[in-house]
Amino acid sequence: MSDVLTRSEPLPAEAFSGNQVVIRAAPAMARFSLRARTAAEVSAVLGFEAPAKIGATAHGVACLGPDEWMYRGAPDAPPPVAAGQMVAITEISHRNTAIVVEGPRGAEVLSAGCPLDLSKFDIGRATRTVFETVEIIVEREANDRFHVEVWRSFAPWLWTAITQVAAE
Amino acid sequence: MILIHCPYCDEDRPEIEFAYGGEAHIARPLDPSAMSDAEWERYLFIRNNPRGRHHERWRHSHGCGRFFNAVRDTVTDKFETTYKAGEPRK
Repeated sequence: MSDVLTRSEPLPAEAFSGNQVVIRAAPAMARFSLRARTAAEVSAVLGFEAPAKIGATAHGVACLGPDEWMYRGAPDAPPPVAAGQMVAITEISHRNTAIVVEGPRGAEVLSAGCPLDLSKFDIGRATRTVFETVEIIVEREANDRFHVEVWRSFAPWLWTAITQVAAE
Repeated sequence: MILIHCPYCDEDRPEIEFAYGGEAHIARPLDPSAMSDAEWERYLFIRNNPRGRHHERWRHSHGCGRFFNAVRDTVTDKFETTYKAGEPRK
């Protein structure tokens, strides 16, 4: 039996590139799910302003619901400290992985399985939605760049589906 | 695809993001042990099943994750309105 624990990545290290779209695994990052009653409480814990409107993003924090925020930081970012605060923090760094879809056809490729109208999806906006039946969190980081968060166990399927669409 | 207005996200979202949650405005009895079997059965299992306007719970499960209430016509499948959980019956 091996004494060394190794992590196998669910996504290929090599990017897909072609047909005006580049699809690659996002670099490792720390992710935290924060649950609280108000954005002010989340801001107090993080030390900077968290967005209050559902769908808005700021400083790596996305407001996903009336009581739910997701914070993404550098891979070695320490978890926010919520001692004495009414904020529940869960580390989800390894529950999620992410795929970056970049290029002029990015929105079109995602639209193959995502029912939202991504052509009207504002830059800097993030929301939970679905790709076919797989739950994803889409964030439009730039006009032609989407960051797609997905549960690790669904990632290989999502990668296959998205690259298949992009190849066609 | 039907678009459903989520009162929390405040926008129309595709039906596939939502999950149906049964009839709305069914209050849990305050003292279940004082109820007869028939009353308990009525609370647990008996629903209105109207033809027309139906008050029902929905959850934006692949979105903001919140339960809310909706008025939907069971004949036409059209949503008349949606409102936040806890708000009075519309």
